[in-house]
Amino acid sequence: MLISGVWHLCDDGLVRPVMHAEILASDGSWIKTPFLLDTGADRTVLSADILQALRPQPLRTQTQLGGVGGVIAAIIIETQIRLTRENNGKVLLRGQYVGVTEVEALDMSVLGRDVTNLFAVIVDWPQHIVSLLG
Amino acid sequence: MAVKQHPMVMEEVTDPVALTEAHTQDERFERNWAWFEAHAAEIYAAHRGKCICVAGEELFVADTPGEVLTMAVAAHPDDNGRFTRIIPRDRLARIYADQRRMASM
Repeated sequence: MLISGVWHLCDDGLVRPVMHAEILASDGSWIKTPFLLDTGADRTVLSADILQALRPQPLRTQTQLGGVGGVIAAIIIETQIRLTRENNGKVLLRGQYVGVTEVEALDMSVLGRDVTNLFAVIVDWPQHIVSLLG
Repeated sequence: MAVKQHPMVMEEVTDPVALTEAHTQDERFERNWAWFEAHAAEIYAAHRGKCICVAGEELFVADTPGEVLTMAVAAHPDDNGRFTRIIPRDRLARIYADQRRMASM
């Protein structure tokens, strides 16, 4: 299985590895969104704009996320992320994901090791390749 | 406190109707994404600290995610390939989040 991503020019002029995906909203619709492919992140984290679009029922409300910027409040939701594989097929990843509620906490959702540990991850800047291999 | 990781379940989508709908949405998204990439530099420069949404290859800008989604859906209700982004207020090097602690239920 091969799931391809892209290198995306971000607001600060840096190019970062991004995977395009869909997330299942509470009304059954799928929300398209880019994810930063972050091999250093313990968990997949949804940004506040995505949480707004999903309108989820949180499982817990007292989760915290820590990073260089300190600790921020977050919620845990149960949903599905859908990725596109090389044959145009789709792969579902069901699980519990963390979402931040503060808009300024995260400018783009992050695909962390709870998902990427299921794959071999290629983040190859010289060859301009971003891929998950399963 | 130990971090509790919940298992992730991976499965293939086999429903042909769901796949067809997904591919239609993908095509809409790719058009919006291509439009965004072509205009990204000017969008970043003009809308720092704002929430944006691209739908129907058109830009919508507001202060909150809810506001921008409302605007985009009203203008392009059938475009499920829309996406939102938050444009950071400042240009900073970034290290993204990792989990530090999870409260018990």
